[in-house]
Amino acid sequence: MAGVWILADRREQTLELLNIGREIATRLGTRLVALVSADLNQAQEYILHGADEVLIMPPLADEQPLSAYVPVIAEEARQNDPDIFLVAGTSQGKEMAARIAARLNTGLGSDCIGLNFDETQQKLVMDRLIYGGAAVQTVVCLTCPQMATVPPRMFAPATPQNGRQGVVRELAPPPPSGVKILSRKPREHAAGDITEAKVLVCVGRGFENQADLKLAQELAETIGGVIACTRPLAEELHWLPERSYIGLSGEKVKPELYIGVGVSGQIQHTTGIRDAKVICAINRDENAPIFDTADYGIVGDLYDVLPKLTEECKKALGK
Amino acid sequence: MPRIITCFKWVIDEADIKVVADSRELLLERVSYKISDYDRNAIEEAVRLFEQHGGSVAAITVGPPAAKKGLKDVLARGPEKAYFVNDSSFTELEPAQTAAILAKAIQTRIEYDLIICGEGSSDLYAQQVGPRLAELLGIPCATFVNKLTLDGEQLIAERKIDDGIEVVALTLPALVTVLPDINTPRIPGLKQTLEANKKPIVEITVKDLNQTFTPCLQTLKVRGTTMERNCQKFGAEPTEISKFVEALLKEGVIA
Repeated sequence: MAGVWILADRREQTLELLNIGREIATRLGTRLVALVSADLNQAQEYILHGADEVLIMPPLADEQPLSAYVPVIAEEARQNDPDIFLVAGTSQGKEMAARIAARLNTGLGSDCIGLNFDETQQKLVMDRLIYGGAAVQTVVCLTCPQMATVPPRMFAPATPQNGRQGVVRELAPPPPSGVKILSRKPREHAAGDITEAKVLVCVGRGFENQADLKLAQELAETIGGVIACTRPLAEELHWLPERSYIGLSGEKVKPELYIGVGVSGQIQHTTGIRDAKVICAINRDENAPIFDTADYGIVGDLYDVLPKLTEECKKALGK
Repeated sequence: MPRIITCFKWVIDEADIKVVADSRELLLERVSYKISDYDRNAIEEAVRLFEQHGGSVAAITVGPPAAKKGLKDVLARGPEKAYFVNDSSFTELEPAQTAAILAKAIQTRIEYDLIICGEGSSDLYAQQVGPRLAELLGIPCATFVNKLTLDGEQLIAERKIDDGIEVVALTLPALVTVLPDINTPRIPGLKQTLEANKKPIVEITVKDLNQTFTPCLQTLKVRGTTMERNCQKFGAEPTEISKFVEALLKEGVIA
């Protein structure tokens, strides 16, 4: 037995992994197996979307974390010997993947920004960022299964094909775990989703007070943008919700226009804006690294520049 | 009285890395090294719990002989003792190896109730060593923790996951990986730096561990990322700002 296995904690990532997993399974001439915590209806949906087999993790007790399944999944993998095992790069997925890999004594490429399957070597060639995004490391796994975590939204979701047949099997319930969930609090949803926005005005440490962010807000409103920020503003100062920060460990964005205001441009941040079509920067330090990664920059004090720029944009856009 | 271990890594300061434009080769000759940023939070959290509850706090690292420089730095940050698993072959360890070496050293040498690791290392940022180490030691684990409370035999951890916050209880011994927003690491002063000189360092060699650690991953290549951008700068005068706006209109990114 062999196969390409996928594991995701949410439907949208399951569909993305079904897409890439199907392609690799076909090229390897093997089966695609999806591990899901879901009901039987969803299992059928995943079969239509490309899975040959769905392994269902039965529902957990309220206090049981998803990671309670680590020993069950590792044991299942030990018995079935998958060739490749892809896991969604969510926070839970990353923990699960690392722990499963440790149990199977196999290698794991974390947060792969590129996945290529080399047919002659039968190897998954994985690209990942290192040094805060300053470099790309290309790795292959020397052990089996070859494992990778894949960041959300890297692949399009799989499309359904009518009439696909597959097998559904339920996994054993997990053994008691040393981790018990005491409570859960859903994440607050930010007003604008920065991963969807076409225009982003990103605020950084250059702002002296939270109240001053209104200067950026006015610019954003004028040009139809959404406010984003750097990590310290969300994590240390808590001026903006956590979903608003861009960077290696935050959100990676692909807007048409990014304007960094008072953002110095550390590599961990600029890694998150790499795919923006146009990058702009406003900073009073003309040597700030952000200018090296920007298409257009304004060297000046944001408190002086922002009102003028908002005014100029209003004029230009006839607002 | 918890016995706490904090793991850290001595890494290249990524801000010093230069990339050759054409070949995308990395220039590493002039780089400096530092304690991995995320590990500073792990060290701080270990010291904070130690100050609150007593017990002991030790730091451990795995690396080539050159990583010795990190030991004084880590000790100045508060741990009482440092363990250094040292071998000249430990230059390009991948996460499975690092975790296996740490597991073996801890298992055979150090008694503990709690292990604290950073969210990831600031060089490889694979975010694997913490959870792998927990599995190899067979202890409960919580990752991405941004609040930690020790309550007798129980550890309460608030962890940040994609959907929100999950508060979990772990039975000790346990391992956690912590996020940068869990604390603000202290900056060692002269007094702490001088005190660090007197603290014990235990060196452990591969021979002492009596095991080989083969890699599970192989690096095929490393190349610098480049961002080819216009890099056109304007001033802050009104005429310059209108030229900037013109450029955005021409790009078709504002409308």
